[in-house]
Amino acid sequence: MLRLPAVGRALAGAAHSKGCLTASSNVRTSVRASSNLVEVFVDGKPVMVEPGTTVLQACEKVGVQIPRFCYHERLSVAGNCRMCLLEIERAPKVMCSHNYSTLDCSSCRPWKGIFGHPVAACAMPVMKGWNILTNSEKTRKAREGVMEFLLANHPLDCPICDQGGECDLQDQSMMFGSDRSRFTEGKRAVEDKNIGPLIKTIMTRCIQCTRCVRFASEIAGVEDLGTTGRGNSMQIGTYVEKMFMSELSGNVIDVCPVGALTSKPYAFTSRPWETRKTESIDVLDAVGSNIVVSTRGGEVMRILPRLNEDVNEEWISDKTRFAYDGLKRQRLTQPMVKDASGQLVPTNWEDALMRIAAMLQGVKGSEIAAIAGGMVDAESLIALKDMLNKLDSEALCTEELFPMAGAGTDLRSNYLLNTRIAGIEECDLLLLIGTNPRYEAPLFNARVRKSWLHNELQVALVGHDVDLSYSYNHLGDSTQVLKDLATGKHPYCQVLAQAKRPVVVVGSSCLQRADGAAILSAVSTIAQNARVSSGVEEGWKVLNVLHRVASQVAALDVGYKPGVEAIRKNPPKMLFLLGADAGCITRADLPKDSFIIYQGHHGDVGALMADVILPGAAYTEKNGTYVNTEGRAQQTRVAVTPPGMAREDWKIIRAVSETPHVGVTLPYDTLEEVRDRLAEVAPNLVRYDDVEEANYFKQANELSQAVNQSLLADPLVPPQLSVKDFYMTDPISRASQTMAKCVKAVTEGAEAVEEPAIC
Amino acid sequence: MGEYVNLVRRAFGQITGHGGIRGFLLQLFRANDVKTGALIGIDKYGNKYYEDNRYFFGRHRWVIYTTEMNGKRTVWDVDGSMVPAEWHRWLHCMTDDPPTTHPPEPKKFLAKVHQFNMSGTSGCYVPYSTTAKKIHEWVPPKVGQQ
Amino acid sequence: MYLSSALRAAASHAGRQVRSLYQSAARPGAGGIFLHRDTADNNPDTPFEFTLENMKRVEAIINNYPKGHKQAATIPVLDLAQRQHGWLPISAMNKVAEILEIPPMRVYEVATFYTMFNRQPMGKYHVQVCTTTPCMLCDSDSILQAIQNKLGIKVGETTPDKLFTLAEVECLGACVNAPMVQINDNYYEDLKPSDIEHILDELKAGRVPPPGPRSGRFSCEPEGGLTSLTEPPPGPGFGVRADL
Repeated sequence: MLRLPAVGRALAGAAHSKGCLTASSNVRTSVRASSNLVEVFVDGKPVMVEPGTTVLQACEKVGVQIPRFCYHERLSVAGNCRMCLLEIERAPKVMCSHNYSTLDCSSCRPWKGIFGHPVAACAMPVMKGWNILTNSEKTRKAREGVMEFLLANHPLDCPICDQGGECDLQDQSMMFGSDRSRFTEGKRAVEDKNIGPLIKTIMTRCIQCTRCVRFASEIAGVEDLGTTGRGNSMQIGTYVEKMFMSELSGNVIDVCPVGALTSKPYAFTSRPWETRKTESIDVLDAVGSNIVVSTRGGEVMRILPRLNEDVNEEWISDKTRFAYDGLKRQRLTQPMVKDASGQLVPTNWEDALMRIAAMLQGVKGSEIAAIAGGMVDAESLIALKDMLNKLDSEALCTEELFPMAGAGTDLRSNYLLNTRIAGIEECDLLLLIGTNPRYEAPLFNARVRKSWLHNELQVALVGHDVDLSYSYNHLGDSTQVLKDLATGKHPYCQVLAQAKRPVVVVGSSCLQRADGAAILSAVSTIAQNARVSSGVEEGWKVLNVLHRVASQVAALDVGYKPGVEAIRKNPPKMLFLLGADAGCITRADLPKDSFIIYQGHHGDVGALMADVILPGAAYTEKNGTYVNTEGRAQQTRVAVTPPGMAREDWKIIRAVSETPHVGVTLPYDTLEEVRDRLAEVAPNLVRYDDVEEANYFKQANELSQAVNQSLLADPLVPPQLSVKDFYMTDPISRASQTMAKCVKAVTEGAEAVEEPAIC
Repeated sequence: MGEYVNLVRRAFGQITGHGGIRGFLLQLFRANDVKTGALIGIDKYGNKYYEDNRYFFGRHRWVIYTTEMNGKRTVWDVDGSMVPAEWHRWLHCMTDDPPTTHPPEPKKFLAKVHQFNMSGTSGCYVPYSTTAKKIHEWVPPKVGQQ
Repeated sequence: MYLSSALRAAASHAGRQVRSLYQSAARPGAGGIFLHRDTADNNPDTPFEFTLENMKRVEAIINNYPKGHKQAATIPVLDLAQRQHGWLPISAMNKVAEILEIPPMRVYEVATFYTMFNRQPMGKYHVQVCTTTPCMLCDSDSILQAIQNKLGIKVGETTPDKLFTLAEVECLGACVNAPMVQINDNYYEDLKPSDIEHILDELKAGRVPPPGPRSGRFSCEPEGGLTSLTEPPPGPGFGVRADL
């Protein structure tokens, strides 16, 4: 509905830019040539802005914050709260844009009417020579009047409201509101809606800013929310009983300026001023969303997004936001060893480490292997690799498979999302292969949708037909389509050939198949052909791999072998599972007497088959390095201490390494030293917030020609098809009750989830 | 003169009244005192209760603990909580009637077998927590129940 | 005597001071609640399908708007659906959304915004009595009372035979002919209680009485004849200086 060129352009107010990668990623406020800037004045201070800039943005440019409720810089302008009313004055002795004195210009005359009247700053484009008064008597009066009207129907229940302390209405009524009430009338009350187990609605508090409605239709692409009724009885809702079913639904909590939409799991648990905020990284998918972990008394209270224009903008997915209660359940808090009867019993560290040491005694280096799971930080990856290498073992694998035929993981460009997430905004054609980015990487999908909405991005998909929240060209789900695309026989190749900046994204899930190498080879050829036909500049990357787990890129960078095939072929006597919970290897794959060590933070698949359990730290409990699917190294920070006797993972491996019989003491004692070692192996891992460029696509493509594997006939079906597959994918979200409620609500309806009566 | 003779006689009695030198030394090291007095009674655990009203109030009743109680050797490791409830009253001068002459009214809350004070040991009482657990740990499945 | 009047005054004063703190948004307006709750006669399975004839109309309406702007046809298509079905069940709104290829929520927004879309079952004749100031001054209350007495229903109700639904509405723009009543698409103006009773009788009998004023006026000309411009218009040169 919104995707109309004329409307898009009107919303944008200015022409779109196709700037370089580092240009402002906000689509709406793009840069024009600096020549035709317009001079306006904010409280007499001159500022040059692009034509089409709104009054509010001009004020922002000089650092003046205008109060607002409905205006949100990532959403379309609604202009319905009127809080941003400002007085505009004609600046004296300034020529208008038509080079007349502003008094005399016939073209500007229609604008004269607004001088001296309050105007809504968020919706009003500036004209040359305006003087914007942000603190005049009239402006203040206007704000006070608007605030009085907003509060007329807003309940005064701040003490029991979850938004209390971080409420825009609270703050702005303190700043701009009246200091007394003249209000004796009755207040309106609105029925609460049940829109799912994540969002609690107290609709009486709603001030009808429609931010949530705009978020749902523009960002999330789920047009379920709307305004019904009119006048005093207008309300926000779904009209029919319906769940707000989106993987980004939690963001409406942040977007809501009042307490109408709050977090259900967080309800009545803590106040913003009580919590300690730790800036960290999310590891539940491979996007590496930037988050803020709010903790109180050694407990994670909630997770909020943190602004990072290059990764997640200011959104996070529901799994990232709400799976934190999984960090408090099913945790491994003490080392455990199997006793004579085969029962795992809690013990102390010394006992557990000595048990490992004793078992290592009779084992040759080649009989030791390790598997790294999906949420392991780079520090423990390198520590484990160093230890096993010192023990003469090379069998270090990741759970996720990646085809090793052809260039394999030797060329870094082969396994990265080279275009980067923000780069999607510059491309004009996106070909998705065997992936469902909506649930594998929701923020990546949000970026695609944004580009689709504002930049006329064309999307095509080879793979299972799924709902991506935007329209796309479905080319089919068989591998034959890939073959045809690679050889240029497919009709879509003509469209592909016309693309100026094509991007091809292949899902990591389809590379797990037996014919992964052939798929990668075909995709590589498609990408290379598209690149040649588009004639795009050298720096533009076409081939991309979209990963699903947070540790994969770091593990490949450090030198792990992708996939457990090697272990299955050559079963080790001693297997070290580092957070490996995907169940790639089972007891049945190993000899009877093999000894399994599980190190991780959750009692899940891996812990069940272990002989010794070493309790590690989850991502909120350690300083860890994670590399997202773009190859961007980011670090998590300690928000809470690991529970019980659990310790940071690299320290555990360090402790194992120095026990007798192991005796290969790793040469680092502090985090800095581990990171120095990381820098030796892969320097990009410690260049935080930086994306290391990867190239050699041509060479990779040439190498992939050597792959003599044929494509299987099976259709390309990503594992996460519908929203119910999205919520529980890893040990943390599997342990989360909130996520379990989501699955239940999705399958059985929102009414099926039992909530405390108070919510 | 008679006073001094009495003093000497009592001193001699305190030395001899514990069953010879061995008994005297044992008493001295166990109780830090060698007082002798009238044996008022012995409870069922073997604690002996004495009284000598010639001493100052507060020092006139005392207990010599038994050497074994509730399966614990209490020759040297004695504890004030070895005194059972019925003797506690008499010993602390809440009453002048020892339980030998005035047996206590049977109450159902009175322990049949007197328990030591468990404070400071692993058996001490810990009130249950009323706050929710912050971390729920994983409990490994019992063998055979998988 | 004195005391009791003082008491009464105090009580009424207190009564005014007591605030009704919250009022439900559902109370005001003829639109009912702005939420949908499934009922036996209004649920997503309520049968609704445009007739072939109306389907052609829908296409004509959609063609009025530029390509890609099907959404613009929401109001006329909804109106068509209402005319066909008498009111708008949720299934009709869903159908409209399906035809216009827009999310159902966008249709609900429109249908709840406009009071002329009836989202509850209606009688065959929607009797809308204007009670805004000019009509009220011309005694629209007696008209309303007459209708209520005649039909035995109150405002907002439907007769058991599903023939009439009575609504009180704000100004319908026929103040010159006050008091007036709109029944479906027809305006009946200059009414007296006896007129409206006659109109209702006719409707009950299955005839549609001719719309317009009941006072013998043709339209909205002055009731007692012209009060100005009564003389024939003066010829050319009227009021011009004689020497010109």
